[in-house]
Amino acid sequence: MKSVHIFLIVILAISIGALTVVLGNTSTYADFSQATSNPDVEYHVVGKCDRDKETNYNPELNTDEFVFYMKDDKGIEKRVVLHKNKPQDFDRAEQIVIIGKMNGADFHAREILMKCPSKYDKGSPGQDGKS
Amino acid sequence: MTYIGEHLYLQFWGNFFIVLSVAASALAATAYFFSFKSPDHNWKNLARISFRLQVLGVLGTAGILFWILIHHYYEFSYCWKHASNSMQLRYVFACFWSDQEGSFLLWSFWHCMIGIILQRSAKEYESGVMSLLSVIQFFLGTMLLGVFVFGTKIGTNPFILLRENPDFANIPLFKNPNYLEHLDGRGLNPLLQNYWMTIHPPTLFLGFALTVVPFIYALTGLWKKDFLGWQKPLLPWAFTGVMVLGTGILMGGAWAYEALSFGGFWAWDPVENASLVPWLTLVGAAHLLLVNKNKGNSIFSSTLLSIASFILVLYSTFLTRSGILGNSSVHSFTDLGMQKQLLLFLLVFVALAVYLLQSKKIFGKFYLGLSVILFILTFSFNFYPSICMIIFGIATLKMLFVTYFTGFPKDIKEESLFSREFWLFTGALLFFLSAVTISIFTSIPIFNKMFQMNKAPFSATKFNDWEIPFAMLLALLVSVGQFLKYKNTEKSALIKNLWPSALFGFIFGTAAAGAMYYSNCWTEGENNTGIRKLEYWILLCTSAFALFANGKYWLFHLKGKMKGAGASVAHIGFAILLAGALISTSGKKTLSRNTSGKNVTGLGKEFTNKKNIFLAMGDTLPMGPYFISYTGRTKAGVNMNFRIAYFSKTDGKYIPCFELFPRVQLNEKMGNTAEPDTRHFLSHDIYTHVSYADPLNESSTAGSNEYEDPENHIIHRSDSLFSSNAIIILDSVFLNKSKKEYELNPEHTMVTAVLAAHTTDRKVCFAYPKFSLDSTRITPISDSIPKLGLRFSLWNIHPQEGTFEILMSEKKSNKKDFLVMEAYMFPYINILWIGCLVMAIGSGMAVWERIRVPRNG
Repeated sequence: MKSVHIFLIVILAISIGALTVVLGNTSTYADFSQATSNPDVEYHVVGKCDRDKETNYNPELNTDEFVFYMKDDKGIEKRVVLHKNKPQDFDRAEQIVIIGKMNGADFHAREILMKCPSKYDKGSPGQDGKS
Repeated sequence: MTYIGEHLYLQFWGNFFIVLSVAASALAATAYFFSFKSPDHNWKNLARISFRLQVLGVLGTAGILFWILIHHYYEFSYCWKHASNSMQLRYVFACFWSDQEGSFLLWSFWHCMIGIILQRSAKEYESGVMSLLSVIQFFLGTMLLGVFVFGTKIGTNPFILLRENPDFANIPLFKNPNYLEHLDGRGLNPLLQNYWMTIHPPTLFLGFALTVVPFIYALTGLWKKDFLGWQKPLLPWAFTGVMVLGTGILMGGAWAYEALSFGGFWAWDPVENASLVPWLTLVGAAHLLLVNKNKGNSIFSSTLLSIASFILVLYSTFLTRSGILGNSSVHSFTDLGMQKQLLLFLLVFVALAVYLLQSKKIFGKFYLGLSVILFILTFSFNFYPSICMIIFGIATLKMLFVTYFTGFPKDIKEESLFSREFWLFTGALLFFLSAVTISIFTSIPIFNKMFQMNKAPFSATKFNDWEIPFAMLLALLVSVGQFLKYKNTEKSALIKNLWPSALFGFIFGTAAAGAMYYSNCWTEGENNTGIRKLEYWILLCTSAFALFANGKYWLFHLKGKMKGAGASVAHIGFAILLAGALISTSGKKTLSRNTSGKNVTGLGKEFTNKKNIFLAMGDTLPMGPYFISYTGRTKAGVNMNFRIAYFSKTDGKYIPCFELFPRVQLNEKMGNTAEPDTRHFLSHDIYTHVSYADPLNESSTAGSNEYEDPENHIIHRSDSLFSSNAIIILDSVFLNKSKKEYELNPEHTMVTAVLAAHTTDRKVCFAYPKFSLDSTRITPISDSIPKLGLRFSLWNIHPQEGTFEILMSEKKSNKKDFLVMEAYMFPYINILWIGCLVMAIGSGMAVWERIRVPRNG
């Protein structure tokens, strides 16, 4: 066997390995019902913050705990305990992605990503009264 | 209606230049194609003129766009979106390429410059490479057209008027013919208003543009059936690309580290990966060209890698500009509805490259036919696009295999295990594999879309798991490489040359690893597992080995001369870069500590809640080796600067060391954004950013004696109220009527509420607001706790519900100004930057030598 053939096999093996890792990636997007039925698996849950309910951030007592309520895409609502600071822009966020798992009745998130209303395109000409 | 003050002639000329560039590139492509088929001077002259017209078109388009931006002609949508009256002129470049249209123009501009050089230097390759470059310029030109063809929008036009923008079609502004008189632009996103935005995109795009040269040379070579002739003139181009693209990528890293709050210089973000992957394949390709220059036996792989870099640039263009990344990237780009056009741009060149790779014409034609059918099905009829794409992908891979086994001349002789070409090839393969794995991991959003999956994007840890081993092996190859000779190397000489560097590398690497291990640099975080620490140790040893071996080669074998030292210097830079990235990233230490004492590790090892420090105005807290104090905030323009003073404590005295001003940018468009501030030391950086603050509160109210407006609370007995400094419990309520009072006024009743305020330092204070009632009137008598700055009054009772209405107000000084901050220590991050610089200088030296002294090889 020539060395080039060994290289070819190496390329294939590594690519297949990488694809397998991607397919076997247990961390997936999910909703709260799925997260509830698999409490030990980490999920990314997409949803919206329930603005009618109270959020709680008391940095003087604990800088890394922020509690809020989130509705997932299917409309299921859970209390979310984020083990991080309250994101600076939380109150403007339109859609949020939380990464974490269910524990008891609460979803414990270690990370949060936010989509602010059309990050780049905001405002229309003349709306600020300048015209 | 006739509008006043619009510069419609600029729109006309702008569109004229766009159409000119598209038409001229089509003509140039055709003319160069015929000139390639029949080397006839008429065709070549026509082709050259058309390409120059194309350049004129691109320059004209860019010039007019600049003119519009400099003069703030807000009737143009692009100008209104990205410029404003308050923007300083020095940001006009940043403004130019801050959106898709401008950055396509920038890319196209660099292609033009490259084209002009190639017209002079490519000689017998001119017709072929310029024909392909013109096709690419045609595709790029159409990105700016903004016309509808059979109901499909092609490109987005940078000269569209604000009132033509469908988003603003019916707004009242345009009922006024003089709407421009007071119109101000929306302005450049403040995040992009810094000097990095002026230098990073042009460098990166020049790097992207330079990948086109290997691509067009390789394809022309295939087209001419000349497997090697194109490789030598390509060498300086390839290494220029390596240098420029590498610099561009690391500039992005430096920007992220200095001005964005990623908490590091590299986050394995899809957009970062998309620029890194073409660089990896370009490095591989450039080294294979070296092999072939000396001993032509890596023809297939060098051709493939030369093609791959540009294809990967197209892929990254598709990834980052089509909006397909969605939630998975912090760099979300606006989706301009060009997904299909961008995909077609990519697929056409994949198909063209694979078609030209086929040696058997019948296979090539079959493949091309299949591709065309699949593209028509996908793009015109939207007929099971995922399945079409899968078939296309399989056909492409199959054709690559076929051509590998049939189409390329191969060296019959087996390469020696001790030859330089064997290990250069292995190195290129490692770069390629690293590129393949990163591409696969970055493509998860694409897989999700094609196969209806919902996989989450990969974390940085997983990327590191895969890429660190590649780095270890590459460092090892970089150490050995230059000591190997082509064809064969004598073993004893090799060992004699290498063992001192290997020994020094091992000692140095082990010492560094030991120092980091025992100074607890690697105790933090989920990532630094036992295996990871072993990897760190190996990588430190191999990169030190690479440093010593290349240093030795330069000093002893080249006698310290500059001539021919480019490779050694670049390799030294690469080794320093790897070591610097490892030391600063793995040794990153969180200085800020959450003092709540609450433990969340029960939830899993990836959970930590120990990142932030709470700083109230005026408090002095220990943080890492310092004591820090938040001493005030000032607003400057869009930025709120927080002043943090750092002290060291010796003999019970605080000695001021320095101050940092992390800031929050009050950004209406993007939302408020934290910008870090970093103190640079020779051995480490102190990196801080504000993770939470109330930036709207402009000046501190500390010291004020006023009370805030009271808040009404309706509560039961033993319910709690929360103030900013205590939890207040309604302990009890009783009627009190002293004898004297009773005698004074028998009608009179008095109700007293007992409120117990539990402070955060576990003390209890009491307040007794009263409520007096007689036949004529109700009088609440308030009570306060001066120490806590709280005032209460009881002003109503609902006996049926058993509730009491209590007004609570706090002193304004209670709401202490505070911030929540993260602080990290990056050890020896300067090593990383030095490595970048040395690598760029080394690549530059190598390129310079090849341009100046065309050596015979």
